[in-house]
Amino acid sequence: MTTLLQVKGLSKSFGAVRAVSNIDFTIREGHCVALLGPNGAGKTTTIRMITGLLKQTSGKMEFQGAAEGVHYRSLIGYLPQSPSFYSWMTGSEYLIYAGQLCGLSAATAKLRAKALLERVGISGAAKRRIGSYSGGMKQRLGLAQALVHQPKLLVMDEPVSALDPLGRKEVLELLRELKQETTVLFSTHVLHDAEVLCDDVIIIRNGQVALQGAIDRIRENHRKPTIELQVEQDEHSQRWMSTFSRRIQSLLNEKDEGALFQDVQLQNGIARFTVSEMDAARRMLIEELAREQVKVSRLEVGHTSLEDLFMKVVTG
Amino acid sequence: MSSETKASPSFSVANPPLSSSMTRYRVMVEKELLELVRSFKLLWVPLVFILLGIMQPVSTYYMPVILEHAGSLPDGTVIDIPLPQAAEVLAQTLQQFGTLGILVLVLVCMGSVSGERNSGAASLILVKPVSPLSYVGSKWTAMLMLAWGSLAAGYLASWYYTGLLIGAVPLSKVIGSLLIYGLWLTFVVSITILFSSLLRSPAAAAFSTLVGSVVLSLLAGLFPKALGWNPGALSGFASQAVVSEISDSGKFGLAILVVFIGMASAVLAAAGALRRSSAVE
Repeated sequence: MTTLLQVKGLSKSFGAVRAVSNIDFTIREGHCVALLGPNGAGKTTTIRMITGLLKQTSGKMEFQGAAEGVHYRSLIGYLPQSPSFYSWMTGSEYLIYAGQLCGLSAATAKLRAKALLERVGISGAAKRRIGSYSGGMKQRLGLAQALVHQPKLLVMDEPVSALDPLGRKEVLELLRELKQETTVLFSTHVLHDAEVLCDDVIIIRNGQVALQGAIDRIRENHRKPTIELQVEQDEHSQRWMSTFSRRIQSLLNEKDEGALFQDVQLQNGIARFTVSEMDAARRMLIEELAREQVKVSRLEVGHTSLEDLFMKVVTG
Repeated sequence: MSSETKASPSFSVANPPLSSSMTRYRVMVEKELLELVRSFKLLWVPLVFILLGIMQPVSTYYMPVILEHAGSLPDGTVIDIPLPQAAEVLAQTLQQFGTLGILVLVLVCMGSVSGERNSGAASLILVKPVSPLSYVGSKWTAMLMLAWGSLAAGYLASWYYTGLLIGAVPLSKVIGSLLIYGLWLTFVVSITILFSSLLRSPAAAAFSTLVGSVVLSLLAGLFPKALGWNPGALSGFASQAVVSEISDSGKFGLAILVVFIGMASAVLAAAGALRRSSAVE
C-alpha cells in the first residue's frame, strides 16, 4: 500500500488562536480515513488546508502521485459541509461546468455529468434549477461535482451531519460504494459514521491529534474489561456503594499502573469499573459484596466500547 | 513512487499550462454571461442606459412644452429657451450616465465576488484547478461586456434622438467620446470588483466605490492643474471630446495610462485577496 497524502507538522493560527497545531498523519491509497473530533476541534480547518482553500501557518503536505507540472488540486475532490451552488443553474449544467473547470472537454464533461447524476440518484432533477433542490439533493450534487474528474482523494467535511436520518443513511450507503473506488478522507463528529465506513481514524482534540490508527487495531488495543454493578435502593447498600467507589477513586489517584482497578464511574446509581484483570477483580468484588451483605441487583461483565474510548480521548 | 512524483511540497505548485487556463477562463466567462442572462441583468441594465440616453434629448427638446403645461405660470408668459447645441446634449447625457448609470453598474457588480464567497459557492470553484486570477478575471470581463454594451446602447440611442430632434453630431466624435467614457466606466467596474473581493458586505463595496469615484471626479474638477490626470477627469475629457477638442492632451494621455495601471492592479489585488483566503465563513 502506498502513501497518498502525507501531512507533516500542519499548523494554523488565527491571530492568537491556534486552531490546528502540529498535526501529522498519512493517508494510504485505497483507505477510508475519518477525521473524528468534537465541534471546534479543528477538523474543518484541517480539511480546508488540505484542499488548499486555507493557507497553513506552517507545516507541509506531500501528495504523492502528482506528476510533474500538474496542479495537484486536480487530484482532489472536495465536498464542503453545506455545499452551495449557483441556484440559477441546473444540476446538469453545474456538473458540466465543474467538469470543464477540472480540465475535461465539453463532450467528456457532458458524459460524466450524465453518468454521475444517475449514480448519485438525482438524474430526475438534472434539468431543474439547483435553487429548488432539497438539502439531501444538494449533498448528492455536491458529491457528484467532487467526483466529476475522478479524483485520487475525495475530501469531505461532515458529509452527513446536515441530513435527516433517511438522507444520512442513503449518503452513507453511497459513500460505502465510493470507497471501493477511491481514497476517502472525511471529517465527522459522530463516531458511528466513522465506525461503519472507515479503515482508519484520526481523533483530534483542541487542534492536536489525540489518537490515530486503524480502527480495528485501536478497538483491540484499547479494549478493557469492565464490570458494571448496580445495588438495590436500601440505605446500607447505597452507603456501601459510595464508600467503595470513593475508596477505589482514592486508589486511582495514586496512579499505580498495575492496579486492579483502573477507572471507576458512578452514574445514576450504576458503578462502572474498568479493570486490568477480570478474574481477580471479579473475585475481589464478589467477596467484598458478600462480606458487607450488599444487596446486588445487577452485576455485569463486559468490555469498553470505542464510544468509551472516544469520550475519554475527547474529554480527557 | 519515484522521487520526481513527490516533488510537490505545498499547494503553491506550478500553474496549469496556459492553453488549459485559457479554456477554463473562457468557460468561466461563459458562465458569468449566462448568469447575467438568467438574472435579466443583461436586459435591464442596457434598458436603463437606453432610457437615460433617450430622456436627455427628448426632455431638452420638449422642455418649453413641459413648462407650459406645468400650469404654475401666469397667463401670457413667453417661454423662450434656446435649444442647446446638439453636442452639448450628448455631453449632458454623459453626465446622466455618470450618476444614475454608474450607480446601476456598481449595484450590479457589488456582490459579484463577495456574494459567492459569502455563500460558499466560491470555495467549491476555487478548490478546483482554477487560478484566482482567472476567477476574478472572468467576472471582470463579463461585467465590462455589460458596462460597455450598455453604455454603447444608451449613448448611441441618445445620439440618434439628438440627431432627430436637435441636430447632427459627427459619428466619429461620438465614438471618440464613447471610448473615453467607457474607460472611466471600466475603471469604476474594476474598483467595484476589487472592493467586492476585499470586503464581505456588498453594500460596503458599493459605498466605497461610489465615494471613491465621486472623490476622484471632485478632485479632478477642483484641482484641474494638479490632479487633472486622475481617472475621475475622464468623464470631463469625454464631454470635451464630443463638444470640441480635448484641450490638454498631456494630462489626457496620463489619465489613460493611470486607468490602465489602475484596473490591472485592481484585478491583480482582487486575485491576491482571494488567494490569501478564498472563502470567508
